[in-house]
Amino acid sequence: MADQNNGAVQLQPQELDAVYTLSQAVASAISTEAALDKIVKIARPIFIFDNIVLYEKLPENGLDPTYARAIGRGRFREADLAWGEVVANEAFQNGRTTTRFEELDGGSTDRTNIRHFLGLPLRLAGQSKGVLVFIRFGGPVFTPDQISLAEFIALHVAQILERKQLVNQIANLEAKRRLDSLQDDFIAMISHELLTPLGFIKGYATTLLREDTSWDESTRREFLSIIDEESDRLRNLIDNLLDSSRLQAGTLQMAFQTVRLDTFLKELSLRVRSMHEDLRVDLELRTPGLQVSADPTRLTQVFENIISNATKYAPGSAIKLILDKKNLQARISVQDYGPGIASEHLDRIFQRFYRVQQSSTSVRGSGLGLYITRKIIQAHDGEIDAQSHLGLGTTFQIYLPLLQKSDFSQS
Amino acid sequence: MIGSILIVDDEPRYLRLMEANLITEGYRVLKATNGQEAVHMVGDKHPDLVLLDVMMPVLDGFAACQRIREFSTVPIIIVTARGNENDRVRGLDLGADDYIVKPFSATELLARVRAVLRRAQNIGSSFQQTIFNHANLRIDFARAEVFKDDRIVYLSATEYRLLLQFAHNVGSVLTSEQLLVDVWGTEYREDKEILWVSISRLRQKLETDAKNPQHIVTRSGLGYTMPPL
Repeated sequence: MADQNNGAVQLQPQELDAVYTLSQAVASAISTEAALDKIVKIARPIFIFDNIVLYEKLPENGLDPTYARAIGRGRFREADLAWGEVVANEAFQNGRTTTRFEELDGGSTDRTNIRHFLGLPLRLAGQSKGVLVFIRFGGPVFTPDQISLAEFIALHVAQILERKQLVNQIANLEAKRRLDSLQDDFIAMISHELLTPLGFIKGYATTLLREDTSWDESTRREFLSIIDEESDRLRNLIDNLLDSSRLQAGTLQMAFQTVRLDTFLKELSLRVRSMHEDLRVDLELRTPGLQVSADPTRLTQVFENIISNATKYAPGSAIKLILDKKNLQARISVQDYGPGIASEHLDRIFQRFYRVQQSSTSVRGSGLGLYITRKIIQAHDGEIDAQSHLGLGTTFQIYLPLLQKSDFSQS
Repeated sequence: MIGSILIVDDEPRYLRLMEANLITEGYRVLKATNGQEAVHMVGDKHPDLVLLDVMMPVLDGFAACQRIREFSTVPIIIVTARGNENDRVRGLDLGADDYIVKPFSATELLARVRAVLRRAQNIGSSFQQTIFNHANLRIDFARAEVFKDDRIVYLSATEYRLLLQFAHNVGSVLTSEQLLVDVWGTEYREDKEILWVSISRLRQKLETDAKNPQHIVTRSGLGYTMPPL
C-alpha cells in the first residue's frame, strides 16, 4: 500500500526539482488542460508511463474521462489501447491508491499486451473529485517511491480540478445573479406579463374575425368571455404598475378614515366568498371592536392581493382570517394550508418583481402584488411579515397601529 | 394537405386558441403542455407539424426542438412571446422551420402552418426514426435511452452524444477530428486521446466482446465507423 511509504520517501535532486516545477506549473496554468499538459511534461522524465487518463466524477456519481494522453508505446492503437477503466472504477469505489496488472495473449511479442495500471483517487477535503490513472506497458512495476510521487502529482491534479469547479461555480452564480437582476428588469417583466393577456385578446379577437369560418353561439361566447377576462387582467396589471410606481415615488393618495376592523373583515370575507365560490374562508374575531385609521379601499386591496395569491399558489386550501391584538397594535393573520414558501424566498417575496422561480412558469403573476401590499401597509404605519412551513402552509401577519382615545376626538 | 399537428404550450388558453383554429382547417390536433411531453409525443404519434412554445416547465421549447431534431425532421414552428433577434436566430439554428411571435393573429398562424406544410410536402418524405437497432444494440431517441440485449445501459451525456454520431451515420467513416468537433467542440479538435478513451468506454459498455467490436469499429488511419448490418 502506497500510504505506508509516505514518510520514507527520499527525493533525489532531480525529483525535488520536478516537484518544485510542478507546483509552479499548477499555480500558473491558465486552463486545466494546459496545467495537465505541463504536469505530464515535467513528470514523464522522472516517472515513466505510457498513458495517462483523468476521469472526473460526474454529478450523478459516475466517471467521465476529460483528459487523456498516450505518450509512450502503442500510440497508434488508439481506442483499442488500454485506458484503465477497471482500475479507475476500483480506485473510485474504495478511495485508495490501486494497482492492477494485466497480461493478454501475445505479451512476448507486443509489450502493450502487458499492462501495469496505477489508479489514484483524487480527493480534496474529504471530497472525491475523480481518478487519475497511469498506465505502463511492458513494465517495470510501479515502485513504492514512484507511487508516492504519483500520489503527490494526484494531489496537484485534485487541486486543479477544485479550481476548475470553483471557476464554474462562480460562473453559474454569476449567471444566476444576472437572472435575478433580470427580475428587476422592468422591460423583461413588461414583455412577458403584459403580452400574455394581450396575446389572448389579439388571438381570440382575430379568431372571431376570421371571414372564412363561422363559430356557433357557445364558442363565440366562450371566446368573448376570454377576451373580457384578459382585458380585466391587463387592466389590473396596468393598475398595479401605476400603483407601484406611485408608491415608489410616494405620490399615492390615501383617504384615511376610522375603520372598525371586525366589520371590515366580515364584509371582506363575504366579498371574497362571492368572488371565489369554492373557497372556504374562516373568520375568527378574537378581539372585537378594534379600530384603526385606514384607507378602506387600499386595505381591501391588501387582503385581496394576499388571498388571490393563496388561491393561485395554494389551490384548494381553506383560508383562515384571525383578528386579535398584540401590544398596541391590531394583528390580522391570513393563513393558508398550501405547499408553503421555501425560506430562501420568504425574505424576498415583498421585493418589487420578485417571483418564486418554480412557480413562475405555471402561475401567472407580475411580482408586484406583495410589493404593493407592503408599501400600502407601510403607508398606514403598519408592518407585514410572512411565515411559512413547507408542506404546511403560509401565514401573513399584518400589524396596524390602534387608534388611541385622543385619536378618536380628532377624527 | 391535411394532417396532424402537435401543439405545445403550458397556457391552456393558447392550446384552446390554436386548437379551435386548426380544427376548422381539418387538421387533427395533438396537445402537450411541456417540452418533455412534446419530445415523447413526436416519437410516439408522428405528427406532421409541431407548434412549439418556448417558455415552458420541465423542458423548454429550444431544448425540446434540439431533442426532436436528434431523430426527426418533422417541421417545427416556434411560437413565443420572445421575439428578439437572438431568440429567433437561436430557434432557427436549433432546427426550427419558422417562428411566430406572440401576439399573433389567427389568420397569420394558419397561413404559416399552410406555408410550412407546403414546403415540407415539396421537399418530400420526412425522416423520422424513433427506435434505432444495430444487432443487440437499441437506442430510443425520444427518451434518450440505450439498451444492450434489452437491458438498459447508462451512458454519460458525452458518451450518448458520441453514440448518436455513429447511429446517424451508419456505414460512414467518421474522422477523429469530425467526432471531436461535433461532440466536444472546436477547442477539442486536436484532443484525440479523449476520443480514444471515450470510444474504449463505449465499447466496454455496449460491445459483447470489447476487443472484437461489432458496433464501433476502428478503421485504421481513417477513423471509426458503425458498419451496416
